[in-house]
Amino acid sequence: MYKQVLKAQWLAARLPVALLAVLGFALPLLTVTAGGSLEGAPAEQVALWLFTAQKIGVLFPGLALLLGLLLGISAWAPDHLGKHVYALSLPVPRPMYVLLRFAAGVTLLALPVAALGLGAVLASLVVRLPSGIHAYPAQITLRFAVAALVCYAIFFAISIATKRAALAVLGVICGVLLADLVLTAVGQGDSGTVTTTMFMLLTNWPGPLSILMGRWALFDV
Amino acid sequence: MSYAIETFDLAYRAGKHFEIRDLALKVREGSIYGFLGPNGSGKTTTIRLLLGMLKPVRGAITVLGRKVPSEMARILAQTGYVPERPHLYPYLTLEQAVRFHAAFYEGFDMAYAGEMRRSFGLPLDQKLSHLSKGEIGKLHMLLVLAQRPKLLVLDEPTDGLDPVVRRDVLSALLDFCSQGSATVFISSHLVHELERICDWVGVLDNGKLVIELPMQSFKNGIKRIRLTGAPSLVGDTPFTVLQRETTGTEQVWVVRGWQAPMAQWFEGVGAAVKEVVDLDLEEGFVELLRSSRAPTS
Repeated sequence: MYKQVLKAQWLAARLPVALLAVLGFALPLLTVTAGGSLEGAPAEQVALWLFTAQKIGVLFPGLALLLGLLLGISAWAPDHLGKHVYALSLPVPRPMYVLLRFAAGVTLLALPVAALGLGAVLASLVVRLPSGIHAYPAQITLRFAVAALVCYAIFFAISIATKRAALAVLGVICGVLLADLVLTAVGQGDSGTVTTTMFMLLTNWPGPLSILMGRWALFDV
Repeated sequence: MSYAIETFDLAYRAGKHFEIRDLALKVREGSIYGFLGPNGSGKTTTIRLLLGMLKPVRGAITVLGRKVPSEMARILAQTGYVPERPHLYPYLTLEQAVRFHAAFYEGFDMAYAGEMRRSFGLPLDQKLSHLSKGEIGKLHMLLVLAQRPKLLVLDEPTDGLDPVVRRDVLSALLDFCSQGSATVFISSHLVHELERICDWVGVLDNGKLVIELPMQSFKNGIKRIRLTGAPSLVGDTPFTVLQRETTGTEQVWVVRGWQAPMAQWFEGVGAAVKEVVDLDLEEGFVELLRSSRAPTS
């Protein structure tokens, strides 16, 4: 069963997965090439290189987010087309079917994660780092894997829901923005207080998106 | 008597204007049960209730002796379902779709599926999105029959198919039925189609079961009787009067449950029977719906 679900999911999502795998592989290498060579470079140049490399690091969580989004949506898109009738007519308990779909998506995550890991290792090997600066290919790959998994889980859950549930999520977001407008209008808060609070709740530990925040650096001190 | 499908006092409501009311279906094991009804009468909703896809507001359902929805996975393992609209994943090729489906059914007969595919002339490597409506209809039938199910639930399986494909699909169904003792529950508004293959019939109209009886009784029991001298008011009749029309001195009655000796009843009330005409299933179906919709005084 799992093999067939995986195959079906792969066929539905192979193009974005392959594209993101290529991006995942290229991104760590971009970190190296964008910074230029470090051999015999003065301290200022190394600092600039590190700064540039860390700027590029912002793209890692972005890629994880995109990967999670595309896999989350593609996990349920074919079933949405048929209003889930096929899935509901299959002789497996519903939680089991959801688990199969989820597990297949997690397996597909492995390809871009592995590509990124390979790219990170290659990038670490091609650059000669001055003393005090280290490469963290395993750590960034692991962090990317966890971030992609979290994003996938979130979008998988949103994507499985009915239109009504999706509208409820949208309603909450609109409600937050509206609350901000009202509070600002009546002078009870600064502009964007509620939105900022919500954002902080989501992105500060233990918020689910905290994994995406902070410094994403393949090279660091 | 054991039943493949049984519903008790089943009720379901969707929106303000549609509901299934007091539905009590009894589908005998091994029968081919035609579930007739006009468009929008609630056939698909009933089927979705039977398969646990919708939750009733009242009542109970048993399918293959098991309770819906608590034993749904076991029921579905022995049930082949062809939905009203195609639901298979369009990006899969035919071969991939068959393999995907087979993975969920222990008893899926791959050899039989291959045999049917060849006899239907279905291309193995074609994506489902590139198949015609007829080919998709055949594929649906192939998938459910190769499951070797105990129960087949077919929701308008031939709707929109051309006559040649329709014949192929129904022939495959009848072949399958002749090989074993599967129960078939087939919904349709194509009355002639069901007339050929069903041995029981249930008629649903506006969410309510109007009648459920053996096909033979349904076909033989509905007559159009031309007579003269019938009184305008009649008491109890040994048959069910579905419709009465007067044209000049003549009256035309459409009755259900008719048997030849009942002609004596007309003599008893001073009427003379001129002609008794058998109605075919479609005419009987139309008259039945007309009478069920007539306002009761």
